[in-house]
Amino acid sequence: MKNRKKMRKRAGLACLNLFFIVLCFVTLIPILYALSVSFNAQNSLLSSDFSFLPRQFTLDNYREVLFGEDILLWFGNTALLAVSCVAISLAVAIPAAYCFSRRRFPGRMAVIRALVLLNSFPAVLSMFAVYRLLRPLGLVNSRAGLVLVYTGTMAVFSLWNLKGYFDTIPVELEEAAKIDGASTFRLVRLIVLPLAKPSIIVTGLMVLIYVWNEYIYATTFMTGEDKYTLAAGLYSLQATEMSGSWPVFAAASIVVSLPVLVIFFLCQRHMVSGLTAGGVKG
Amino acid sequence: MRRIKKFAAWVLALTMIVSLVLTAAGCSQGADGGGDTGRIVIWHDKEDAVAEALEQELTRLVPDVEFVLEKKTSLTDSLKLSGNDPSASPDLFIFAHDKIGVFAEMGILAPVTDFVSEDALSSYLDMTIEAATYKDVVYELPIYFETLLFMYNRRYMQDDEVPSTTEELYAYMQENTGRGRYGFVEQHSTAYYSAAWIHGFGGSLISEEGEPLLDSDEVKEALAYHLKFVELMPGEAEYSTVNTLFIEGQADATIGGPWMVPSAREAGIDLGIAPMPAVDETGLPLSPYSGVQGVYVLKHAAENKTETVRRVMEALCNPSVGIALAEASGCAPANTVCYDDPAIAADEMVNAMRDTAQIATPMPNIPEMDVMWTVTGNLLSDVNLSGEDVDTAADAAQKQALDLIAAMQ
Amino acid sequence: MSLKREKRRDNPRQKRLPSNAKQRKTTFWSYLCSAPSLILIGLVVVFPILYTGYISLTNMNVYHWFDFDIIGLDNYERALFLVDSGFLSALLATILWTIVNMVIQLVVAFVLASLLNIESLRFRKVYKTLLMFPWAMPGYVSILLWKTGMFNSQFGLLNQWMEKLGLEAVRWLSSDVSAFICCTVVNLWLALPFMIMIMDGALQSIDKSYYESAILDGAGWLRRTVSITLPTIRPIIGPAVIITVFTTFKQFDVVYLLTQQAGAKTGSHFHTLITYTYENAFITNNYGYSSAISILIFVLLLVFSWKFHLEEKS
Repeated sequence: MKNRKKMRKRAGLACLNLFFIVLCFVTLIPILYALSVSFNAQNSLLSSDFSFLPRQFTLDNYREVLFGEDILLWFGNTALLAVSCVAISLAVAIPAAYCFSRRRFPGRMAVIRALVLLNSFPAVLSMFAVYRLLRPLGLVNSRAGLVLVYTGTMAVFSLWNLKGYFDTIPVELEEAAKIDGASTFRLVRLIVLPLAKPSIIVTGLMVLIYVWNEYIYATTFMTGEDKYTLAAGLYSLQATEMSGSWPVFAAASIVVSLPVLVIFFLCQRHMVSGLTAGGVKG
Repeated sequence: MRRIKKFAAWVLALTMIVSLVLTAAGCSQGADGGGDTGRIVIWHDKEDAVAEALEQELTRLVPDVEFVLEKKTSLTDSLKLSGNDPSASPDLFIFAHDKIGVFAEMGILAPVTDFVSEDALSSYLDMTIEAATYKDVVYELPIYFETLLFMYNRRYMQDDEVPSTTEELYAYMQENTGRGRYGFVEQHSTAYYSAAWIHGFGGSLISEEGEPLLDSDEVKEALAYHLKFVELMPGEAEYSTVNTLFIEGQADATIGGPWMVPSAREAGIDLGIAPMPAVDETGLPLSPYSGVQGVYVLKHAAENKTETVRRVMEALCNPSVGIALAEASGCAPANTVCYDDPAIAADEMVNAMRDTAQIATPMPNIPEMDVMWTVTGNLLSDVNLSGEDVDTAADAAQKQALDLIAAMQ
Repeated sequence: MSLKREKRRDNPRQKRLPSNAKQRKTTFWSYLCSAPSLILIGLVVVFPILYTGYISLTNMNVYHWFDFDIIGLDNYERALFLVDSGFLSALLATILWTIVNMVIQLVVAFVLASLLNIESLRFRKVYKTLLMFPWAMPGYVSILLWKTGMFNSQFGLLNQWMEKLGLEAVRWLSSDVSAFICCTVVNLWLALPFMIMIMDGALQSIDKSYYESAILDGAGWLRRTVSITLPTIRPIIGPAVIITVFTTFKQFDVVYLLTQQAGAKTGSHFHTLITYTYENAFITNNYGYSSAISILIFVLLLVFSWKFHLEEKS
């Protein structure tokens, strides 16, 4: 009887694993396609008979991406931008989200509701206004300008997302610590932040990925290839009809995505909630 | 006390942000804030080879000026934002002539004739100067021009098979299309490419006064006639499909720009270039648009750096610039003096381009043309891809064009 | 349970009313701590809206680039003329698009995240990372890959497979319905990783002991999902879901790059509101007129979300 149950469980698990393997494969088809093209020695993304295993294997395209183009330079630019944006986003969003979650003050709900509505403004035309904003500040064609735009764009999401999570952390924990005489700053640092770790990581990742992938502001506001971000550089590689080799482009798109994936893989360990581990029972 | 500590922490963080912003702002300059510093910023969106050739020539001809060539992917969009602001826009930029109207009306361009004498311009091909002129003012110093060419793969289409009329082309297509092969492919639903057919019927997309002509009989006839060719071409015909078909040897002939030549040669295609076939009914050859690439001067640079700009513009008139850029881009120089150079005179591509230029139609440079690209593209895809009736679609497109042009004001 | 607590906290009147001075101090400190965030939002989110509103009252266009004047509500009057059958069908298509995308996204993400949280699944980290791949690629790169790699009628993988199966080649993007479906597939492909991640994070925050006691009470999977899982994750995923609804509504890249790009039109007439107005207003370079249309769309969105909010409440 017990054995049978075990067997059934095992069979179910096998099915589940199979399901996920198939799902991952299906999801990754376009990426496998790019991967195969990037390893293929023939010079075409649009080859009319395709196989996932390249017929003539080559690393030339990757060599060209890494050393022929300015990818390494763009990578540095992007990394710098991404790190500053994530740091600033979290630094400004955490205290704000905490106040909006814990404190009661006039205008609180109004601000929260207004924020999400304002965020619905179509961005196609705000480009012009953002430009008008950056120019008097002397921030056109500067990384700081991009940092300002990126953190500002993500600020509503960061604030909202963190506030939503803070709301679910039982306030009793803090009240107990307060009685012990802890300051608000200590309270947040020692109790709230560890508990909200998953949400903080998700928010940070979100900002990181936005910065990593954004190209419209980056190409319009930045001049000169040496200031491009990865996404902007990649965009300029394929933007004109005259330029761009498809296999190199495919290789570049894989190279651009890998760092984000690695970061995601590394972050997963920390995304397990402090709540399930902690001793809080409802 | 504790509150103050916390507050101090945040003030510190904020100061850090602000200082980061300000220090980074210090090193952010487009052209210079004003004054003639002997530094010229030039925007372009060309291939690296073209930019390098230009920089080399300029540095050789005007050695005491520092040139900064910056590649800008969305050049026109960026210029619409930065306008005439000396701190964010360049001093000069290089672009085709079709946006002259927009930028001239915006009021950010300085006339080229302020820097270059009429005399110096007299040696340029008439077509290029006409293209560079908007409302009787020359706003662009032409450097080279490009146009679409009839290209064929000698492996499949013999020199004596090259069609001289569109009906011959159709007969060839009928014979050689099928089982994954195409006799001829072009970007049949793109305004830039299909305009050649409309011109071949004596029609045009827009009049010189900015009146759209999409519902004219010539346009309708051209679209209806063109349809039978479209049926023998792939349904999707954006540039990657068309270029790949030709470069992989699956299509015998195509209409393409000079930028296709290097990749076709690299792929080992024995490339032939022929004159455009003529439309049987009218006797006119298919006449593609031509684009004149040249240098523009922004108003702020003309005012603040007059002397430097003058020297640079005079240097750009030097035939060696045209020769160097023609070699780098595979296009034809605008200055007739360049053709005295033996290398240019012998270049098959350049000559084909110059010949086609005789029959090509310069793109209209009036601001109204800006919306016609989209409207014509819609019309072409309605007729060629969605199978709509030519008359109805053309009338609807005409109305949309009129609406959009009215909305520009 | 935490939900009850949440409600209690949200209603300040049930709490002991703090003294006036203390309240003022709280207000002051709260705004001070939120100031950096609110200032950023003010600059990058609010200012463009106000500025667009200002431009919408002027005649700024190619012919009046520097010397534009305030012309009042003329632009709005003209913008209303754009509200014809084309605009309305784009609006309907956009609403349908938003609903279809959101429903599929939420259901699929919930199911996948739940499956990923089954404890005995050992390789979940690998699966999760692989499933995140579409998200790690810049959006336009993915769209380009789909367009040329998958859907292209000459070389696309889909048609190569069709051919192997002995079927006719299909022009995937050329008819309205199939273009809608293709755009939806690509949009889901792009958006699901984020939704799965948010769901996954929310599911992990549920205290496992709730389930244990529910299982002891004999509650089945469905019951546990309805009465524990859904109510608990709702407030957590709420912000992300609402923001995604707006992003889906505003979607431009997917539809434009797949089917409507100038020079690479596929012949489909499927437009979202933004691609429609882009083609019928923004390309005129008339900033005054375009701004008026942007503001009108914004107002439309406000009305929708207000209605939605009311229904949600009742």
